[in-house]
Amino acid sequence: MGGYGDIQLLNEDGSRLDGRAIDEMREVEVEAGVLPAADGSAWVKHGLNVAVCAVYGPMEAHPRKIQRQDRAVIDVRYNMAPFSTSDRIRPGYNRRSREISKVTAEALESVVLVERYPRSKIRVEIEILAAEAGTRCVGITAAAVALADAGIPMRDLIVGVASGKVEDIVVLDLDKAEDNYGQADLPMGILPTTGEIAFLQMDGDLSVEEFNTCLEYNMKAAKEIHVLMVDALKRRYEEKNGGEA
Amino acid sequence: MVELVPSLLRQELAKLAEADQRIDGRGRWDSRDITLETDCLYNAEGSAKVTWGDTIIYAGVKFEVRTPWPDRPAQGSLMCGAELRPVAGRKYEPGPPSPQSIELGRVVDRGIRESGCIDMDALCIIPGEKVLGVMIDIHVLSDKGNIFDACALGAIAALRTSTVPAERFDIGEDYPLAVSMTPTMCSFTRVGGRYVLDANDEEELGGDERIHITLGDEGHLHSLQKGLKGTFTPAEFAEILDVAQSRCAELAALVNSKEE
Repeated sequence: MGGYGDIQLLNEDGSRLDGRAIDEMREVEVEAGVLPAADGSAWVKHGLNVAVCAVYGPMEAHPRKIQRQDRAVIDVRYNMAPFSTSDRIRPGYNRRSREISKVTAEALESVVLVERYPRSKIRVEIEILAAEAGTRCVGITAAAVALADAGIPMRDLIVGVASGKVEDIVVLDLDKAEDNYGQADLPMGILPTTGEIAFLQMDGDLSVEEFNTCLEYNMKAAKEIHVLMVDALKRRYEEKNGGEA
Repeated sequence: MVELVPSLLRQELAKLAEADQRIDGRGRWDSRDITLETDCLYNAEGSAKVTWGDTIIYAGVKFEVRTPWPDRPAQGSLMCGAELRPVAGRKYEPGPPSPQSIELGRVVDRGIRESGCIDMDALCIIPGEKVLGVMIDIHVLSDKGNIFDACALGAIAALRTSTVPAERFDIGEDYPLAVSMTPTMCSFTRVGGRYVLDANDEEELGGDERIHITLGDEGHLHSLQKGLKGTFTPAEFAEILDVAQSRCAELAALVNSKEE
């Protein structure tokens, strides 16, 4: 986390700089089936973040050494477009995107029924088009919808959400200033139906009580976003069936 | 991944060509429908989304302050790059930039650069010390054929609607970038033995060489490129250049309609 103390992140009345309450998340929009070339796809806008995800497969896994005899491998690429941040990003992989890709793949592997597709590969391509704090969570949400849109069996969706701490107060869904100057950030990937956690990272400083509040906020937000994800998938199927659900 | 070119598809395309038909029912010089959106990406100083049939691309413009090249101390710079990331289609694989994506970026770059639509002298802040670099990045999200024309359209539309973030660089107030022309690209692919405009993915798969023509405001040629194996005759080129003249004018009008 960045520095703390020099920048005021909460208003006098306790509300946040963008006017949200401390347990209020940014506005979220979800759409399924946005990329004609892909087997499944999704578009998620979360605050000012925009993520697009394409899923290809299940397909033959090659090179052969990556094959698993008893299950599919999930090959995730999380990538930020060069124009997605205020300073241009040089195209190509870096340590950050590699780490996020790895832990995202592992989170998705815990919900996809990978044992149904031995020796195959499922490609998940997450592209961040606009970034304003919390892109890994938006990417996870988009990936879950894209996998469902591709018709890949899963035991639940997975929702990316984050809470954190600014000026000693726990807040839900950090924006850019809160992320840069706050005290902690706790992103999670939550299975909304069972409440299990498939993705977890954290940096900063949290007491156990604060962690528990973050967890409670994240669970609440996951349920809200889950409704939007299911809606998007239903709309997509209505489209495919010519208006009938 | 190896694209399997089914000989059946080639036969089918040849048969259709004999009857002067196309696989998706279009006429020889018909384009698919195009939707152009601008100002659609937060954080980019200029942006465009192009939906060209089922092909989808985004273009974003960023600026940087840099030291000028020693041989051009009073000129800024322009760079246009395209990324064909694995998101764009099943046939694309991760790895360093492919020859295809480099060709794509460079052909689009040449059309814009050589039209002279950006005044490089106007991008100078302090001669010999500070100049502006303009960077156009193109992101292909869904390749269903003819990404070249879609990318060229997105790039010029993003450029023409971009704002120089002068305040962020401490060099005065933000201002719109001056772009004096609207170069646009028209691509033709040999399908079933004859050229067609705006090939879709099936026509590209079962077709042969392609020709890309970028025309500026007065129908002047600014960039040409022939790609893939095959040859063509001067008479064939004259025919498609004629089609390109009217088509590029329509595309430029579409881009210009996005500016206030």
